[in-house]
Amino acid sequence: MIRRVGGLITLAIALHAQPYTLGNGLHIDPMFNIGGYFSSEFQSKNSEESLTFDDVAVMAYGDINPMFSYLAEFEAVGFYHKNLSTGEENGNQKFHAERFYADLWLADAYNFRLGKMLTPIGYWNMEPINVLRDTTSSPLYSMLLFPKFLTGVDLNGYIPNVDNVHYHLFAQNNHDLDEEYINIPNTHFYGFSAEKELTNESSFGGSVGEYITLTNQRTRFIQANTKYDNEQWQMMGEMIFAQNNFADNDHSSTLSGYAQGMYRYTQEHAFIGRYEYYNDHHTNYVDNIAVAGYSYRPWYPVSLKGEYQWHSLRDENTFLFSLSVLF
Amino acid sequence: MKIIILFFGLLIIVSGANYSVIVSKKLSYLTVSSHEIRDVFLQKRHTIGDQKLIPINLVGQDDARSTFESVVLGMDRNRLNSYWIKQHFAGVNPPVTQPSYESIKSFVQNVDGAIGYIPSKMVDNSVKAVYEF
Repeated sequence: MIRRVGGLITLAIALHAQPYTLGNGLHIDPMFNIGGYFSSEFQSKNSEESLTFDDVAVMAYGDINPMFSYLAEFEAVGFYHKNLSTGEENGNQKFHAERFYADLWLADAYNFRLGKMLTPIGYWNMEPINVLRDTTSSPLYSMLLFPKFLTGVDLNGYIPNVDNVHYHLFAQNNHDLDEEYINIPNTHFYGFSAEKELTNESSFGGSVGEYITLTNQRTRFIQANTKYDNEQWQMMGEMIFAQNNFADNDHSSTLSGYAQGMYRYTQEHAFIGRYEYYNDHHTNYVDNIAVAGYSYRPWYPVSLKGEYQWHSLRDENTFLFSLSVLF
Repeated sequence: MKIIILFFGLLIIVSGANYSVIVSKKLSYLTVSSHEIRDVFLQKRHTIGDQKLIPINLVGQDDARSTFESVVLGMDRNRLNSYWIKQHFAGVNPPVTQPSYESIKSFVQNVDGAIGYIPSKMVDNSVKAVYEF
């Protein structure tokens, strides 16, 4: 697989027509653009230290014609991992289909996306890779409460005659394209999300949905998000309430959310603070997390980040450092 | 009285728009808003009214492009670069570029859905100006 990917990239470099700019991919022609990214991460937690060469991904996308476009992305997660405390090494070089979809554009109000895609909920889930984030870690909100990916159909666009409201109406009635590579394997997933752009800097939105996991857990959720982002400051927050019905007729709820602020000291340097709350009544897992982080981007597609997490569950306190690059 | 007219004449010249957003003469638009232009050039939308549009940018770091980015798109170059890097991950390319004002004008003249910007003094009856900045 790696050889095939390497061959593809070599061929693309040999053929590419436009000068390459880091972070913008290779534009061979409108039908074929390629890119990729990787991240590496150092973690120190409970006196254990580890180093992970984490996401290694390649992607291709393009416009077949003015109405039809595609995107394919394959990623190896946990490519190489070393426990620096014990010396133990492992890794998984298998590439998984992260995104694989086609878009049929009919109008700005009606675009059909078919295939495997990022679930169109909130902000964090739509820019989930390390290099695009401002902290190495992701809030628990984004990892535990709804499937990160959707293998189905998403009708999306701007609601006609409503000022700057973008919507997604999505549905899945099958298994995920690659069940090894999804946080919550499921067989049914339906939802609606909308986002209102108030100004160039601010927006808010929300979503509702339902999914059924492989273990027959039925979860219904309601979610909300808001963001303000100018040249210097970014403030954002998301929260979700989920009602879970389990196969044994037990039921419970989960509430989670985060609020994050970022101050860009310069274009390259930024300070980040985040507060997270997670409360799963079923497992009695309750955590309050404070995160203080620093981000340095010598160029935007190259990200060096450090952070420290304080957990109300004391043995969870963690230091993280990462380097990630988008090609 | 002559002095007052001369003063206002000079004021219009000094404060007058330097650049115009242009489309094909065949299109029915009289004007478009800066928000509509912004959405088209950021590839958020592909149409204004019923017309599918092809945004054309000026290559490089020319004053016209910087002015367009700050006044119409509301972003400086750094912010715009980070926007397009995020769009690259989303599978969206920035608008195509042309090397000169002349080639933008020629493109707009010859392709019905093209939309670009040129110095206002270059606007003539071969194209239609729909916004000035």
